[in-house]
Amino acid sequence: MISGSLTAVEIAAGVRSGSLSALAVAEAAIGRANAANPRINAFTTLTPERALAEARAVDRSVAEGRDPGPLAGAPYAVKNLFDLAGVVTLAGSKINRDDPAAPADATIVGRLKQAGAVCLGAVNMGEYAYDFTTENTHYGATRNPRDLTRSAGGSSGGSAAVVAAGIVPFALGTDTNGSIRVPSSFCGIWGLKPTYGRLPRTGAFLFVESLDHVGPLAGSVADLAITYNAMQGPDPADPVCSARAAEPVPSDFEDGNGSLRCAKLGGYFASSASPEALDAVDRVAAALGATSAAELPTPGLARSAAYLITAAEGGHRHLSRLRARAADFDPGTRDRFIAGALTPAAWLLHAQKFRASWREAVRAVFANADILIAPATPVSATEIGQEMMAPGGVSLPVKAHMGIFTQPISFIGLPVIAAPVHTPGRMPIGVQLIAAPWREAALFRAARILERTGVCAAPAAPLP
Amino acid sequence: MPRINSPDVVSQVTQLHDAYEKALVANDVAALGAFFWDSPDVVRFGVNEQLYGAEALAEYRRTSAVVFTERRMVRRSVLALGEDVASVTSEYEQKVFGQPRHNRQSQVWVRFPEAGWKVVSAHVSNALVGPPQTASWEGYADQVAAALRLPLAAAHRTGVAQNLQRAAAIAAPLLAVDLPSTSEIAPVFVP
Repeated sequence: MISGSLTAVEIAAGVRSGSLSALAVAEAAIGRANAANPRINAFTTLTPERALAEARAVDRSVAEGRDPGPLAGAPYAVKNLFDLAGVVTLAGSKINRDDPAAPADATIVGRLKQAGAVCLGAVNMGEYAYDFTTENTHYGATRNPRDLTRSAGGSSGGSAAVVAAGIVPFALGTDTNGSIRVPSSFCGIWGLKPTYGRLPRTGAFLFVESLDHVGPLAGSVADLAITYNAMQGPDPADPVCSARAAEPVPSDFEDGNGSLRCAKLGGYFASSASPEALDAVDRVAAALGATSAAELPTPGLARSAAYLITAAEGGHRHLSRLRARAADFDPGTRDRFIAGALTPAAWLLHAQKFRASWREAVRAVFANADILIAPATPVSATEIGQEMMAPGGVSLPVKAHMGIFTQPISFIGLPVIAAPVHTPGRMPIGVQLIAAPWREAALFRAARILERTGVCAAPAAPLP
Repeated sequence: MPRINSPDVVSQVTQLHDAYEKALVANDVAALGAFFWDSPDVVRFGVNEQLYGAEALAEYRRTSAVVFTERRMVRRSVLALGEDVASVTSEYEQKVFGQPRHNRQSQVWVRFPEAGWKVVSAHVSNALVGPPQTASWEGYADQVAAALRLPLAAAHRTGVAQNLQRAAAIAAPLLAVDLPSTSEIAPVFVP
């Protein structure tokens, strides 16, 4: 029996040294998936044949003295909008079931395979990623492994759930307005939304081209780093992917926070948060020696602009499906997609121009800080079916407002690590560490400090 | 027929209503509770909650401190009916998470022999500011959907119009931001 609490780094070290068999690791992970899935409803497609074949190939490399890769034998799962060769890419929808199977892996899945990782299958998400709670009408709600009555967050809810349940050490998700950071916060694990354009999106079923990011969710900072490193590098097939060379971050930082200047975001980011979210921010800020506070100008307008771009581009992406099969959409997304497809051009263009001007305004804030600290979600995991929440006292619809703190940040593509803060007897909640574009390395330094000092952690949830 | 708008009653209730507004904006929970009738029959409908009885009101105040920003009364009418009953209806402009909302408040005040003037029933609601009503958005949706050859099922029409109306409210403050004529959308296309 191989424990679910082994990290990807530990598994790879064992497999590379020959002390651990990738096949045994894969078999154990498949066993955990089969045992846990009925409770959390995370996997929509298990790919045990693929996992076993990839594991055997890794073991063969080790036996033959070839380099099996830095992630040798590490099992993972992907949000079901990533192409897996031979599997239909559902993107959380019923409609896509009629699509042919993907002919090839998504670029980052291929890179993980190259690095020796072992893919266990595809996991649940909100339909076409237009969601913050993974309450999917077609495939059911994904349940939070730390409290099965609660949501795993969304839209990458399945990805967060399989990590928090200890089935796999890491998983892939996407983030347009918060879809990696919200489920990371709900499930109490680490999540990385890199700089817009850092990781290639080829082979991912996109939602909003202008705002879509891909990234890893993991149980440790080292795993977040090693998987992030394995996926970097230019990809001409994705016009948004940067041509800059890979900038790998060290998987461990032991040199303290050095000269990192950290500041807590105030104003908008403090006024609408629950006491538990503000407490988590304070604990992270204290651990990072954040002495100053910063404010972003008009984050509410940034959120509005992100909302309009999301509606217009998302609606347009699905126009042909809305024409032919509107009735087959999830009722939770359908009317928003149709309305988005009808967006007046001036709204979209104004929002896009505002994006460029807001980027400049926020750039000035980074003149005085390397890391900005803000809540990831206004509250911790809400209950499945919960409609209203009252962070900071004002009663608000859950689904429309769970991204209030994440949406303005992804709007201008800033890199973010969602750092999990656990408190005994309470649900965990995430804190955003936000850096200037392309400064992921600073985020990892801060995250490692938080992990080493015990302020943040992502222990696997003991499933009942 | 009770005496309508006795100046003395109107003045008393107006002052109390001013004090209530002050406590509300300051989120003075203790003071707010004292304005309401301490009875199982007191009723308050909020934007998202229906509270029956003093205990339910107190619990709400304890758990849901409401924070208003830029709240401004734009209209109030005080109607006194006799010496012991008055109704106050008022409108406000305020912001919720940076989004403008038009708030309406109705209160029925009754003077009790010992407790004095208390609110026995209240109702507040919010409306989106500015955009046309849903009905016009349904017309817009019909026209644009037809131009895009997008069949719009009758069952989806109202929901789509509501989403467009919401988006219009979200777009309004953004469109009010003047951007330099040189600003461009972020370039993706590379010739």
